Amino acid sequence: MRSRSAAWRWLVRKEWRELLSARAFWLMLLLTGPLVGETFISSVRAYAELSGLHGTAAGVGEAFSPLIGVWSPTFSAYEIVAAFLFPFVVIRVVSGDRQSGAAKLELQQPLPASARIAAKAVVLLAGWLLASLGALVALLLWKSYGGSTHGPEIAAVALGHLLNAGLTIALGAAAAQLAEHPATAAILTLGFTVSTWAVHIAAAVRGGLWERLAGYTPPAMVAGFQHGLVRLDVVLIALVLVAAGLALSAVWMRLGVAVRRRALESFAVLGAAALVIIAASWLRPSWDLSESRYNSFAPADEQKLQRIRAPLRLEVHLAPEDPRRFELERHALRKLRRVMPDLRVRYVSQTSVGLFEQTSQHYGEIHYDLDGRTAVNRLTSAEAVLETIYELAGTPPPPQNDEGVFRGHPLAVPPRGAGLVFHAVWPALVLGSAWVALRRQS
Amino acid sequence: MAGTPLLRASGIQKQYGRVRALEDVTFEVRAGEVLGLIGPNGAGKTTLLECLAGVLPWSAGALLQGEQVLHAQQRSAVLFYMPDAIAPWPAQPLGWALDFAIGFFGGRAVLRDDVVGRLALEPLLRARIGTLSKGERKRALLALGLLMPQPVLMVDEPFDGLDLKQSREAAQTLREHAARGRTLLLSIHQIAEAARICDRFVLLSGGRVRGEGTLEEVRGLAAARAGRPAADLEEAFLALT
Repeated sequence: MRSRSAAWRWLVRKEWRELLSARAFWLMLLLTGPLVGETFISSVRAYAELSGLHGTAAGVGEAFSPLIGVWSPTFSAYEIVAAFLFPFVVIRVVSGDRQSGAAKLELQQPLPASARIAAKAVVLLAGWLLASLGALVALLLWKSYGGSTHGPEIAAVALGHLLNAGLTIALGAAAAQLAEHPATAAILTLGFTVSTWAVHIAAAVRGGLWERLAGYTPPAMVAGFQHGLVRLDVVLIALVLVAAGLALSAVWMRLGVAVRRRALESFAVLGAAALVIIAASWLRPSWDLSESRYNSFAPADEQKLQRIRAPLRLEVHLAPEDPRRFELERHALRKLRRVMPDLRVRYVSQTSVGLFEQTSQHYGEIHYDLDGRTAVNRLTSAEAVLETIYELAGTPPPPQNDEGVFRGHPLAVPPRGAGLVFHAVWPALVLGSAWVALRRQS
Repeated sequence: MAGTPLLRASGIQKQYGRVRALEDVTFEVRAGEVLGLIGPNGAGKTTLLECLAGVLPWSAGALLQGEQVLHAQQRSAVLFYMPDAIAPWPAQPLGWALDFAIGFFGGRAVLRDDVVGRLALEPLLRARIGTLSKGERKRALLALGLLMPQPVLMVDEPFDGLDLKQSREAAQTLREHAARGRTLLLSIHQIAEAARICDRFVLLSGGRVRGEGTLEEVRGLAAARAGRPAADLEEAFLALT
């Protein structure tokens, strides 16, 4: 019998050939280019107009960050690919062996199921990286326009989408092994995507636990990375979910093992994953890799806040769908959590919209409690929140300093040639490659 | 050594919910023989082979080599199972699939050209497996099985889909491999076909073994049961089931 490493290498070669022979894969590649292209073209055009193109007011785009203006929307095309195209490729590759009967042959080689599923995952990840070439093309076009790039923030966005692809692989692989038929697996996978939307809706309406849960769904995870924020808890949880999905797939791949035992092993996998996820959710380290410090207060404020050791409690009387609550979260609390680990925020509201609570006496109030010292106000801007905290801490705010403030990289250049590249050259290259790959295999 | 006991299936049971597909199946496989697993459709032949190969869990039983119980991992070193009616790696050309099988399972590369030639597969080597006809696919599967490294090859319905000439050529090829020391366990529902190629028989019906032995031994069992001699394997089978 062949050594395990040699058998695994053969398996990877086979999976790669299977991927290249999958029409779903080529279709995904074909659609990815125009999708990425369209988001890139739209965002570069908007960025250029705000930067003064066609006579718009110069300076409007002064604080523009390419991360927020270009890369976040351009890469968001990959969210669509990961949610609606890639799962079908994953299911095709994972369930193909079962459908054709090849699994009954391959299972007779005593290679661990984990190694088998790893071979599929490696090949699928390589397929994803091929699809990611669209983003690389966009990056090269941007550079050719004279656009500014900041490596760490682009790496953060790419990492987020890579983890998202990993989640898609894990979810699709688990669904493909659990379901008898690929169509059922596709419904399961899309059902999961839809259920994450439902969690987001519930979070927006009900807040509380739903809000916390929504923070770990793929769209929320990707959103953080798209803003240049790398959170250790999110990375670890994503990796645990990927490992759990692949482990479930490996468990159910073993057709020769009794269903009861596979079910018990699945519960063990899910239990272990849940424990690690709960533990990881308490981790607070995070890194703001955005050039504009989009997720951080000014360095001087951060230093001041880090010196405040006392626990800070906030009671916010704002409904989940109130725009003021959104502003408070986005501009103040999200940044505050990164520098003040002992911060607890409690939202209080009777309704989801808050429209009919306006007459309520306390609606709109933010109650601060810093180690027994309290304050109440209705201000939701970052500056007001910081000012209140400094007052409670009895410390003066740091002096205003414009040094190191991000000035932005305006670029008033239209997306020249991008349409040709993404709508003509890319499809032609993909179709040509598909033709060559399919011919070479026969 | 030919004729010496190689494996023993003991008390194998398989239950699907309340349905018993196999019940206390016990028989012996001897080195270098062609053993026919005979039975009508639904007798449990495929289930038995899949249980032995470890691609289906059995409810009870054991496969023994001498006194040693073979666990799933050990079984895969001794026997290989070639299912019926599958089209593995349908997008891949047959030639590549044979090379993959040899590489992945550590198969008998030296036999490749001979097996391809004997089963008349040369013109099909560049054809995708998914495009092969039923008979062509069956010959391809037989080739894959013969190239596997395990000493025991189990084939489910080896002649299904083959015409008369192809069946005879395939049977001859299988016999030649048995003569070289390969042990074959063939599941066959056409009894006349089995009588031509097999050295011994296990008669399976309703998930139970109804008889085991050479043609003469099976006929003897049938005569003892029916009170009159059985003319051939078919009559013996009918008498015993």
